[in-house]
Amino acid sequence: MKSKARDVSLGIVTSIGGFLEIGSIATSAQAGAGYGYQLAWSVVLGTICITFLVEMCGRFAACSGQTIPDAMRERFGANFFAITTAIFLAVSLIVLAAEMGGIAAALEMATNVPIPIWAILVALLAWALLWRGTFSFIENGVSLLGLVTLAFVVAAVKLHPSYHQLVVAFLPSRPTHDRAHYWFVAVSVLGATITPSLYFFYSSGVVEDKWDETYVGANRIISVIGMGFGGFLSIAVLVLGAIVYYPRHIDVEHYQQLPTLLTGAFGHAGFWLFLVCLGIACLGATLEFALALAYTLAQGLGWTWTEDSTPHENARFSLTYTLCIAAAAIFVLVGLDPIQLTQIGMALTAASLPIGVFPFLILMNDPDYLGTHTNSHIGNVVVMVISALAAVLAVVTIPLQIAGS
Amino acid sequence: MHLIADILDEELRDSRGKNAGRVDGIVLEVRPGKPPRVAYLEVSPITLLARFSLRLAQWYAKYDARLGEGRGVPFRIPWSRVTREGPVLKMDIDVRATPINALEDWLSRTIVRRIPGG
Repeated sequence: MKSKARDVSLGIVTSIGGFLEIGSIATSAQAGAGYGYQLAWSVVLGTICITFLVEMCGRFAACSGQTIPDAMRERFGANFFAITTAIFLAVSLIVLAAEMGGIAAALEMATNVPIPIWAILVALLAWALLWRGTFSFIENGVSLLGLVTLAFVVAAVKLHPSYHQLVVAFLPSRPTHDRAHYWFVAVSVLGATITPSLYFFYSSGVVEDKWDETYVGANRIISVIGMGFGGFLSIAVLVLGAIVYYPRHIDVEHYQQLPTLLTGAFGHAGFWLFLVCLGIACLGATLEFALALAYTLAQGLGWTWTEDSTPHENARFSLTYTLCIAAAAIFVLVGLDPIQLTQIGMALTAASLPIGVFPFLILMNDPDYLGTHTNSHIGNVVVMVISALAAVLAVVTIPLQIAGS
Repeated sequence: MHLIADILDEELRDSRGKNAGRVDGIVLEVRPGKPPRVAYLEVSPITLLARFSLRLAQWYAKYDARLGEGRGVPFRIPWSRVTREGPVLKMDIDVRATPINALEDWLSRTIVRRIPGG
């Protein structure tokens, strides 16, 4: 009982600490900068959806002892698995590159040494942590450090936001200007919040930690409280964007602008605090994304996999995350802007959501896997509607955004 | 039992309960005047690739053959040696006595063990 209570509290804390990454920081800041509080609804919607998805993934893995990619191949066959995995790999590699770019950007702002030079060191650092670290080290250690991102909440409170306007903005409203851009930013926020890698990583973690059906309740508490409070962090970033940039008509187009999110509340110390937040948040996400990619391939193809043994015992698994990090480092090395990579990655994530989410919902309603723990109607409807909405918005707004720019 | 739904792409465990890959293919024996019956299960990237492209599978098989004895052709497990155990299929053979993990072992030996910490 004590051990389960410890698992729950640790799970909640690490979920909060691991929630923010460059995607959610950049897109929430852009949403606040461009439209004040108005796009807060997109963070709320994304948080509701990811809470349901994470809870479902954890429940699925705890009840069936299987992970999502494992069951996807088993239930839908190799061809379907190949198509969904190819899309997932392509999108996740871009997002992985954005996260590594985020760490490199933090280091560049701290040292004035350009991002491409940091790219190799960042790749080596991330790889070495995975190569030598265990799953609990990645899950708990780095995510606990991520609690530093609570600084965004403190900063937002210190700047006295209008809570009334914020709460009103939790309900969707139509834009008053730049309609295409408004919906594009909304899509990017949704893509940044509903990240498939997050729930693939979570379901693998449930199997790594050997949870069973007795953890269904604990899993629910962790996902609701952990993801719920995680969403607050994104809201805090949006609020800061709304207070710092929006009144001055500043659009967030370069990562060098982002530290001013915290300098308003903390002065010059805020600059360094932001760099620490960005670096740690992106490092945590880099490790999670690289592992999620390796987990997906290994589980679907029937390789041995676990982060809790030495690399030679799972050679294909270890080499997969090694190659993913190397491939993503190339994007950073050639000088692609982390903010642009983030925007592309998040919009593509939103566009591809139904491809993974809809089959997942079929699994979640299959008593062969879940016994009596299959989905409720409300869970099915919420996830289906939000994923479809994100995908439709993405398909419509991405071409408009490209044409507009 | 439905062969595609219940057997194909299922996870396979060996006699010690260790991972032995996935069922990539099913070999049926056609008998004159009688219904066909399952003869073997295949566990091999060659079989898996052949489900997408025969040419790709043939190309890969040439390289796969270099991994040692029993590779270069799909590994077959007699159906009589496979039973269902919960959500997975179990064969009464030790995976170490088969070429299933030859690629894993080769990568481990030639690359991963040579990297510090591997």
